[in-house]
Amino acid sequence: MQLSKVFIYEVFFAKVLFNLKAEAARTYLGYVWWILEPALYVLVLYLVFGVLIDRGTEDFVVFLLCGTIPFLWFSKTIANAASSILDGYGLISAMPIPKVFFPMVVVFQDAVKQTFVFVLFLLFLVAYGVSPSPHWLYLIPVIFAQFLLIMSISVLVAAITPFFPDFKFVVPTGTLLLMFGSGLFYSYRVVIPEHHWDTFLLNPMANLINNYRLVLLDGFSPDWAALFFIMLGSLACTGLILIVLNRFDSTYSRLVIQ
Amino acid sequence: MGNLIVKADAVDLSFAKRRRVFGRERFQVLSNVSFTLNRGETLGVVGRNGCGKSSLLRLLAGIYQPDSGVLIRRCASVSLLSLTLGFDQNLSGRDNALISGMLMGNSRKEVIRKLGDIINFSELGAFIDEPLRTYSAGMRARLGFSVAVTMDAELLLIDEVLGVGDEQFRSKAMHTMTERVTSNQSVVFVSHSKYQVDALCDKVLWLEKGKVMEFGDTYTVLDNYHSFIDQSKNLVV
Repeated sequence: MQLSKVFIYEVFFAKVLFNLKAEAARTYLGYVWWILEPALYVLVLYLVFGVLIDRGTEDFVVFLLCGTIPFLWFSKTIANAASSILDGYGLISAMPIPKVFFPMVVVFQDAVKQTFVFVLFLLFLVAYGVSPSPHWLYLIPVIFAQFLLIMSISVLVAAITPFFPDFKFVVPTGTLLLMFGSGLFYSYRVVIPEHHWDTFLLNPMANLINNYRLVLLDGFSPDWAALFFIMLGSLACTGLILIVLNRFDSTYSRLVIQ
Repeated sequence: MGNLIVKADAVDLSFAKRRRVFGRERFQVLSNVSFTLNRGETLGVVGRNGCGKSSLLRLLAGIYQPDSGVLIRRCASVSLLSLTLGFDQNLSGRDNALISGMLMGNSRKEVIRKLGDIINFSELGAFIDEPLRTYSAGMRARLGFSVAVTMDAELLLIDEVLGVGDEQFRSKAMHTMTERVTSNQSVVFVSHSKYQVDALCDKVLWLEKGKVMEFGDTYTVLDNYHSFIDQSKNLVV
């Protein structure tokens, strides 16, 4: 017996919606936190880098936000997805359910919240004195490429953790390492020797952050070739893991339940 | 043969025990299990703790696939009802009922249409909108039973849930089960209660350490099972 395709999508979106609702219900301020949390974050960065440490470069705060806001989206979702299949114990022990369901719920749930963060970010830019431009529409393909990247890495870490629960402890260290390698706080054009630029940009997160800055700071169009390869690679990776998850579905059930 | 809903032929199931990073030890949960269930029949599964009853139900639900042997299920929808219910602790009872109902193979519309019946049957009242982590074990069982009974599945798998809840709900559940069993519902029923198995089941499968000790009519198998239990009790004393 297999759930029909239509039903599984219905369950999926119901689950994303209910999770968002339940998450909000667990705090006093509820949905306000979707805005408040990133707002506090932006405020801290502004106080530290815009007021206390005045770097002289006027757009340093914008430069930082272009790096940290996308990176936080990435690292949070990966951290949430890592144990998602194991956390699905309740459903897995009671129903036959494709295991990819669990990391995907996390990815969509976080993407919904991230939409609000991006809106807030753009509002901040306007308040900070950056004039809005039609160029900002270029953000859409950049954000979409990042969504696909996050999806593929989320599904990957979720697929590894049931086999090696210890992997959960490696994920935060891995994202920390990636953070330093993604140029959140520095411009690779300044810090890294020119003959290493290409290598640096092989890191998809570094590449995406570079693209966010190209669009928002420099007013250029994004690096289309890079975006294309990130999307293609992410989709291929997701597809491959999907095959593995389906092939070993029963093994995953046993790993989670026992 | 056209009347068959489940046919298990020499089914094996094993789990990997985690020992070291490399090298896993396997242990056999079910070995060489064979039985059949006809449409509309109720099969009782008895055996001591850890004999593989719950794993057998999960196998029938499609959560596990057998390592070897053949398991044929001729049904469009299966619903498994157990004490470790498929619920999300953070969602409300209502949302959980909706998700479970849909996962049993029903559309969102269908479940929403029957949600009133589910809530009525569960008698949870205003608690239905509270998160599940605030529920007692009895309340969880009520909700699970109500969903499974209201969203009729072709094959109903029941894992020792008729023994929970208060006296009043238990007798209501038992009454509904009896009604279902006498109608054309196919059921596999795991229970430690001799009385319930005797009252509800057409056939009984007796498992011991993952192997079939006996499979046959309720009266004979139950009788042999209980004299076996009495014997092992005497050995301990």
